[in-house]
Amino acid sequence: MDRIKPWLKLTRWRFFRLDDRLLLILIAVIVGNCSGLSAVALNTSIDAMVEWLQPLRHYWWAFLLPAAGAAASSIFLEKIVREGAGHGVPEVIYAVSRYGGLLRFRSSFTRLISSCLTIGSGGSAGPEAPVVISGAAIGSTIARKFGLNERQRVTLVGCGAAGAISAIFNAPIAGMVFAVEVILGEWTTLNIIPIAIAAVSGTEISRILMGNRIAFTHQVFNIDFIDIAASVGLGILAAAASILLTRLLRGMSSLCSRTGGPTWLRAALGGCVVGAMGLALPDVLGEGYHTTRLMIHGLYAPGVTLVFILLMAKILATSLTLGWGGSGGIFAPCLAIGSILGLTFQRALMALWPGANMASEGCFALLGMAGLISGMLQAPLTGIFLIVEITGGWEVILPLIIISVISTTVCHYFEPASFYLKELIDHGHLLRPGTDARVLTDLSVPELLEKDCIVVSPTMRLGEFVDIVKISHRNYFPVEDPETGEFLGMVYLDDVRPYLFNPAMYDAVVIEEIMDTDVETVHPDDDLPDVLRRMDEKRLFSMPVVSNNRFRGMISKATLLDRYRRELAVQTS
Amino acid sequence: MDKELFHIFRNTPLGRETLMQSVHFCRKVGAYPVIYIPRSTKFLMYFENDVVQVDLDESYLSDPPTARRHAEEIVAEAGLKPVFFEPKHFTASTLPDIPTHYDYMCCPRSISDLSHKIGLGYIGPRVRRIVKSAHFPVLITSPAYKPWNGITVLFGGSNNAVKALRLGIQLCRQSGCEMTLFTQVEKNDPDHYEEVIRENNLEAEVAKYVKRWDRFDSGTLETNLYEVPHDNLVIMGAYGHGVIRDLMFGSKMERIQATITNNLLIVGPNYTARL
Repeated sequence: MDRIKPWLKLTRWRFFRLDDRLLLILIAVIVGNCSGLSAVALNTSIDAMVEWLQPLRHYWWAFLLPAAGAAASSIFLEKIVREGAGHGVPEVIYAVSRYGGLLRFRSSFTRLISSCLTIGSGGSAGPEAPVVISGAAIGSTIARKFGLNERQRVTLVGCGAAGAISAIFNAPIAGMVFAVEVILGEWTTLNIIPIAIAAVSGTEISRILMGNRIAFTHQVFNIDFIDIAASVGLGILAAAASILLTRLLRGMSSLCSRTGGPTWLRAALGGCVVGAMGLALPDVLGEGYHTTRLMIHGLYAPGVTLVFILLMAKILATSLTLGWGGSGGIFAPCLAIGSILGLTFQRALMALWPGANMASEGCFALLGMAGLISGMLQAPLTGIFLIVEITGGWEVILPLIIISVISTTVCHYFEPASFYLKELIDHGHLLRPGTDARVLTDLSVPELLEKDCIVVSPTMRLGEFVDIVKISHRNYFPVEDPETGEFLGMVYLDDVRPYLFNPAMYDAVVIEEIMDTDVETVHPDDDLPDVLRRMDEKRLFSMPVVSNNRFRGMISKATLLDRYRRELAVQTS
Repeated sequence: MDKELFHIFRNTPLGRETLMQSVHFCRKVGAYPVIYIPRSTKFLMYFENDVVQVDLDESYLSDPPTARRHAEEIVAEAGLKPVFFEPKHFTASTLPDIPTHYDYMCCPRSISDLSHKIGLGYIGPRVRRIVKSAHFPVLITSPAYKPWNGITVLFGGSNNAVKALRLGIQLCRQSGCEMTLFTQVEKNDPDHYEEVIRENNLEAEVAKYVKRWDRFDSGTLETNLYEVPHDNLVIMGAYGHGVIRDLMFGSKMERIQATITNNLLIVGPNYTARL
C-alpha cells in the first residue's frame, strides 16, 4: 500500500490545483465530451426505436404504442431506478439554487432511458430536457470526484447542460446561452469560459459521431419590412400559444395527480389518448422534427384549417404526454408547435391579403419556433441563438429578435414565471446568485446563534436580577425552569426598567411576575428569510431560538445582517 | 439535552423495536429523538459534497393513521417529548429533502438495498454512503430492542478509530457507562495502539473511563468478537474506502455487524468528535 500511495497522490491532480481556472477548463472538456456522448446516445436510441416500431404503426392497435412506452417509462423511473418523476430542467435549477449543484449520479442515465421509451414509442415530447439533466448530473458527479468547491461544481453543472444542448442541436452558442440564461442565471467570466469550452466539446463529439449536420437545413429567406411588421402579430400569437401550452401542461399534471391510481397506469392513459390522436394526425406523434422540416422547406401540403387543427392537437398531445407522467422535455414540441403556428399565421395572412409580398411560409415557421421557445422558457437569447444556429440563417435575425422579445414580454405579463421556474418560485426555491433569498439560504439559524446570554430562574428575586444586569451587556434574559430546563419566557430590560431603580421592590418581586411568557420564538430549522420577515413584521431586533422546549440562544438582526454582508461578498467575489 | 437523533419511523413491530432502541440511546446520552414518518418510500440527504438517495421498503408506509400515535406512545413511555419532522423542501413531489445537521442518525439495518435481510448480514451501500458523508455518527440498531449498559470501542489505531474512541469517551461521560476497548492486533506493533492514544492526548481520559482493554493477537476477528459484552453499545470507525476494495477484501464494518447483534454506532471520516 505504501508503494501505491505516491501514485495515488498523482491522481489528486496536484499540478492543476495550482490554477483553479485551468483545472476547471480541463474538467469542462471532460464534462462536455461526456454530456455530448449522452446526447448522441439518446438521439441514436430514439431514431433506432422509431425505426423499429415503424412497421407496427399501420396496425389498428398502434394507438397502444405510446401508452406502452409511457407506462414502461414510468415503471422504469418509479420502480426500477426509483427516480422521482419530473421534467428534468427544474430539478437541475433546484439543485443549483439550493444545494450547490449536487445531483444524483443516477440522473445521468435514468432520464435518457425513460425519455427514449416515451419519445421512441410516439409520445409528444423532446429529448432535450433529459439530456440536460443527464449532462448536469455528469458535471455534478465529476465535480464531486475531483472534490471541487460549490461554485466550481455549479459551473460544471452548467457545463454539462451546455454540452448536452450543444450536442443534441449541433448548436454551441445556443447551448452556452441556455446554460447561463436558464440554468445558472449568472453571467460571470468564471463560468462563461468553462461553459463555452464544454459547449465546443459537446458539439465536436456530436459532429464526430453523427456528422456536422444541422437539424433543419439552411434556406435563404428574403426579409422585407412587411415581414418584420407581421412578426409583431406572430410574436403575440406565439405568446398566446406558449401560455396555452404552459397552462394545459400544469392543468393536465394536476388532473393526473387528482385521478389517483398507479403512476404507470396514468402515464399509459395519457399515452393512449395521444396514440388515438396519432391515428388521425400522425404528425402529433414523437418529437415532430420531420413535420417541422417539411414546413421550413414549404413542403407541408395540408390547408390552413387542417394545420390549425394540428396545432391544437400537438399542444394537447404534449400536455397529455408530459402532464400524465411520460418522460421528456418541451424543447422539441415547442419547435414543432412554433413552426405549425408560424405556418398557420403566414397562410392566414396570405388568405386575407393574397397580393402581399411576404416571406415564405418556411420563414414564418422558423419565426414561430423562436417565439414558442422564448415564450415557454422566457429566455429570449436562447430562442434567438437556437433558431439561428439550427437553421443556419442569419438573415432572419431582425424578425427573430422582435418575435422573441414580444413573446417573452407578453408571456411574462400573463405568466410571471416560465414553465421551468413556476413551481420553484411558488415554493420559494428559485434562488439566483447574489439575490437576497440566496444569500440568506446559505446561512442557517444555528450559524447565527448568540450564546452569551445569562439564563435566569423564575423564582429569582428582582434584587438578584439587578446584580446580573450589572455584569451583563445584554438587554434580554431567557428564563428557564431550573429543574426541567424548559424555556419559560424572556425578561426584557425595557419592560422592567421602572422596577430596577426601586430598591423596595427588590425582595418583593420575582422574575416570574415580570417575565414575558408570550414570546415569539425561532426554531433552529426555520428558514432565515422567514425569520427576517417575522422580525420585520413584529418590529423585533432579536428573538430567542428554542427547540424541544429548550433555549438554544438568541438570533439578532445585527448579527444576521453582518453575516449577510460577509456571505454576499463571498458569493459575488 | 441539546443533541438530536434523527429517526425514520416504521409503523411495524420491527420499527417499534428500532424506535425503542433509539429512545434508549437518547435517554442514555441526553439527546432527543426527531422522528420522521415517511410518506413516500424515498428521500434525499444533501451532504456537503454528496447527495444520497435513501430508498425505503413499503413497510415504512404501513398504516399511516396509527403511525404518529404509536411513535408518540413509545417516546412518551420513556419520559421524552416526541418531536416530529415534516419535510419543507422537495426535489420532486415524492422526493423530500431531509436535513443533515443532526447529531446522530438511526439507520435500521433494513434501510439497505437488500431489505429482506432484516436481521444480521447487510448494511448496504446507502448507509455506507451516509456514514462516509455525514458529520454525525450513524446508529445501527440491534434487530430487537436490546438496552445497553456499557460501551465497547473497536480500536484499530486508525484516524477513524481515534474518532470512535473520542466519541466513546464523550458518551461515557454523558451516560456514566464504563468503556471496554477491543483491539484486533494486526500488522502493527502491540505498542503502536498506546502510542496513538498518547499522540492524541487521550491517556488521561482512557485511564479514567476504560475498565478493560481486550487485545487479540491471534484468532480471527469474527471469533474474537465473542468477547464483546452482549449488553454494550459498540462504537467503531468506518474506513471510508471504496467499493472495489470492499468487493475484493470485504468490508470490516459489514463483517462485524454480521457477527454481533449489539447496537452499533459508526463514525465516518467526516465526523469530528470534540472532548
